[in-house]
Amino acid sequence: MQSKLSDIELIEASLGGNQSAYADLVRRHQRFVFTLALRFAKNREDAEEIAQDCFIKAHRSLASFQKQSKFSTWLYSIVYTTSMTFLRKKKLPTDYIDDENTYIQLQNYAGSSGNLAENRSRSYYLNEAIGELQPDDASIITLFYMGEQSLDEIGKVLGIESNTVKVKLFRARQRLKEKLEKNLKSEVRELI
Amino acid sequence: MKTIEEQLWSYIDGTCTTDESKAIAELIAADETWGSKYADLLSFDQQLESIELDEPSMGFTFKVMEGIRGEYAQQPLNAKINQNIISVIAAFFIISITALLLFLWVSVPLGHANMSNGLPQQLKHAESFLQNPETKFLHGTTLLNIFLMVDIVLALFLTDAYLRRKKASKQALRP
Repeated sequence: MQSKLSDIELIEASLGGNQSAYADLVRRHQRFVFTLALRFAKNREDAEEIAQDCFIKAHRSLASFQKQSKFSTWLYSIVYTTSMTFLRKKKLPTDYIDDENTYIQLQNYAGSSGNLAENRSRSYYLNEAIGELQPDDASIITLFYMGEQSLDEIGKVLGIESNTVKVKLFRARQRLKEKLEKNLKSEVRELI
Repeated sequence: MKTIEEQLWSYIDGTCTTDESKAIAELIAADETWGSKYADLLSFDQQLESIELDEPSMGFTFKVMEGIRGEYAQQPLNAKINQNIISVIAAFFIISITALLLFLWVSVPLGHANMSNGLPQQLKHAESFLQNPETKFLHGTTLLNIFLMVDIVLALFLTDAYLRRKKASKQALRP
């Protein structure tokens, strides 16, 4: 059962020592934080570790949250920096690379794709294709479509200008479309 | 110059100006290439909108709250102590010491003091205390050396403890 209180009300209650208010806040945002972490980590265990770490960090610095932006924007910026630190520690690529090696490497990261026929819906392929994108591309698409963040808010999360976000989003969607078409074509070939 | 796709995405996202939006809408209606491209991108956009979020494990919230509770339990004592109390105690001692020094400075007429006859009453008492054979052992060299040694060891111990704490807090702050 999720709380009907707003994020700010829950933050104030949490700062007043109400632990269950913060638990409500975690319940409210955990799915998106986990999904965003999954765009970087590419496996559920690591993503869950990153997501937990983010909520603990957010709780630690909750008093410093200025309430000038949305709590979700502030939280997602913590997810982004924590995930980038994770990638650096694991020495996974954090920038845009489009060569063939990276594509193969990313397919390996995607790992648990499975071959379950029942899951092979359009949405499944879309998720697969997002999983194959570079973390930056995947996170921009996730923030825009699933995090309901505006271009300005995404800019705040990633620490870039909103115009740059617009360009990056355009390129990310193009790459995603190409990957999706490529994956679907190879699937059709397999079926024939 | 923006490509058709760029312009259509701006139109779909609602990031273009009113004039641009009007012009693009007319092109979509009039031009078949624009129309089909728009339909294609709109369908892709709707698919992206419908993607569902992943679900973490069942005990996720519990694990987070346990982590927070664990972190709170590990918090060093100095982080739990109210800094205002420390400031009040410090202020009390500073004021007391300053008042005592001022009182001594006012009550002892050092201008008239000399090492033999002109000593004020208080200093004469102190001199007799030092000269007394029963209390002389208190300011003997051995006792003084022991006292100084203990002081030095205590100072080193406290400095070490302070530096360790500082190092630990710096490491804890690192991501």
